[in-house]
Amino acid sequence: MESRQARIAVERPLVAVVDDDESVRESLPDLLREFGFAARAFSSAEEFLASDSIAEARCLILDIAMPGMNGLDLQRELKLRGQKIPIIFITAQKNEVVRALVFEQGAAEFLFKPFSDMALLDALNKALRVT
Amino acid sequence: MIESAKSQSNFPLETSIPQASLESILCTEELQRRRSRPPDFEKENRALVALVSTLADSPGIILQTLAETILEITESDSAGLSLLTRNDDGKRFYWPAIAGMWNPHVGGGTPRNFGPCGDVLDRNCTLLFTHFERRYPYLIPVMPPAEECLLVPFYVGGKAVGTIWAIMHSDRHKFDAEDERVMGSLGQFASSAYQAVASIDDLKFQVAEREKAETELRKLTDGLETKVLVRTEELEQRNSQLAEARARLAEEKLALERSEAFLAEAQHLSSTGSFCWRPSTGEIRWSEQLYRIFEIEQGVPVTLELVGSRIHPEDISILNDMNERTRAAVSDFEYDYRLLMPDHSVKHVHALAHGSRDAGGQLEYIGAVQDVTQRRASEAGLATARTDLAHVTRVMSLSTLTASIAHEVSQPLSGMVTNASTCLRMLSSDPPNVEGARETARRTIRDGNRASDVITRLRALFGKEDAAIEVIDLNEAVREVIALSLSELQSNRVILRRQLDGDLPPVAGDRVQLQQVVLNLLRNASDAMNTVDDRPRELLVTTERDEGDRARLSVKDAGVGLDPEAMGQLFEAFYTTKNDGMGIGLSVCRSIIEKHRGLIWATQNDGPGATFSFSIPCRTDTKVQ
Repeated sequence: MESRQARIAVERPLVAVVDDDESVRESLPDLLREFGFAARAFSSAEEFLASDSIAEARCLILDIAMPGMNGLDLQRELKLRGQKIPIIFITAQKNEVVRALVFEQGAAEFLFKPFSDMALLDALNKALRVT
Repeated sequence: MIESAKSQSNFPLETSIPQASLESILCTEELQRRRSRPPDFEKENRALVALVSTLADSPGIILQTLAETILEITESDSAGLSLLTRNDDGKRFYWPAIAGMWNPHVGGGTPRNFGPCGDVLDRNCTLLFTHFERRYPYLIPVMPPAEECLLVPFYVGGKAVGTIWAIMHSDRHKFDAEDERVMGSLGQFASSAYQAVASIDDLKFQVAEREKAETELRKLTDGLETKVLVRTEELEQRNSQLAEARARLAEEKLALERSEAFLAEAQHLSSTGSFCWRPSTGEIRWSEQLYRIFEIEQGVPVTLELVGSRIHPEDISILNDMNERTRAAVSDFEYDYRLLMPDHSVKHVHALAHGSRDAGGQLEYIGAVQDVTQRRASEAGLATARTDLAHVTRVMSLSTLTASIAHEVSQPLSGMVTNASTCLRMLSSDPPNVEGARETARRTIRDGNRASDVITRLRALFGKEDAAIEVIDLNEAVREVIALSLSELQSNRVILRRQLDGDLPPVAGDRVQLQQVVLNLLRNASDAMNTVDDRPRELLVTTERDEGDRARLSVKDAGVGLDPEAMGQLFEAFYTTKNDGMGIGLSVCRSIIEKHRGLIWATQNDGPGATFSFSIPCRTDTKVQ
């Protein structure tokens, strides 16, 4: 049973979630697994950068306002490291300036919290098509 | 050449190096060539919000805060401000605030006509310098040396007043076009901060001056009142003793003259004149100072017509009101009104009088009239400044509040939506994942409670739920509110009257909340009369017993009255007829009164205007919820 699950997890595309809000880290991976992805959640940009998911993840769902390194910093850092992982930004702050900025820096999609499951699925399809 | 070498000989080493040209220490166009970092609007917004709150909360440290903000945003080694000196026609720049490595140099500065700041003002644009001490050797001792310095001019009312600047002391990091942009926007802020600091200094000075003047005036007025009383008493006593005291007459007369001279001097100093008026004969006597205030030649017989000819036409109703009162033999009156002088200037005066019966039983008023024109002017200036400040603070806290509510509530909502979606999907899969669905439903509930907690916290913060119940004398509560709003009412030229029932039983309730209702009704009434100029702006506050053991308070105005179609909506939130109103006032009044198990209503007057009333139970049968 254990080995079967591990095998499936490897085959399914991995989506990483980085958000300092615990309820997002709890709820979003479950929904992603329902969609058929493998999912892993990180509470900060630093934690994600230190993990081995950085090479493995096919898509990153990223909160903008976080203590320490924020979402925009992480986007920049990944670019510097040559990581072309598509990023879907999620945020609770309706700031059009930030929205324009992340697209300029190459974001795949941008969702205002709260968002519907269909909006998320569309965003994931779009992000994964890009690669 | 010899002359100049000699005159500079006190600089031992540096003078031997030829002075560098301005062009050789400028590298402004480098900014566009360098690879620019992307703008960090979030950081910039945060910094600006922090600056604006500092400006509102503790303007005294705004310049230092600004220097620190520049340092942080440009990631430079030193940053600060240079302001042109105000006392010597701007011959120098001084450094009022510096952050970073140059901080020990606060208070230093550079000459206006020979230095980097001067160059920036001359060229009227942002400049980037490298090693400016090569041209300006007096900067050599300022350590550590500046590898690069980015300077931005700022202006107040089109006039340059200073620069803001950032310095790199090493070449580990160079300024780029993004720094130039950010510095530009901080330059604009520097201009507002400079103005705010200057106007707050002025305001402090004004307030101090006004308080000083008022204290002196009060001392004089107090002394004067006592003197008037003492003198009146003396005169009466002397009258009755006149026959026996003939021998001492001369001596007494001398003392009296001295006291009168003293009184005249006191009246002159305090701009206060006194009068005596017998309505039965129409006889009016004025002190010298009162003739001066009214600008009427000394000794001219005073009549009510003469007084009326000086009163401002818009305030003439005061004279009629005064006549009515004397006819009703009211013992005291107090008025604020304006005088219109022959040269069309306007004076503000404050008059008060006390009525008593003389030996023959005739009514006689003794009173004082004080010229308060100057005090009014400084009060008006102060009020404007206060209103401006209050508005800025309110608008700011509203937008901050909205953003924080949106953020705080969106987080748990987001979790709820995601959990509920997951739950549905788990239930509709084949076979349904009931255990997973149960877990996500549980989380949905928890996040729902979190959102609700957020709202409860906000409510606790911004609206006090619990009323503090105490036994209240409604009349006393009303008097306090009137005292608070009197100057506002007077500046709107509202004539306030009150009929407070002295036998009104106490009520139970939240004193502050009830006073907020009264204040709101007074303001509304005053506002409703803002455009009234063809009749006195009269406002009547009444308290009385209402049937069913209740106390009733009414506020009657002579304003524009009520729109019959809008009567039903008057007490609803956000209904307003005022251009600048929030429309929240009357709906809040209603909820407060209803919490006191009372009623609030409005009626159209028979004459002009409207009356707003509320009625709440007296204490005897009251336990407020």
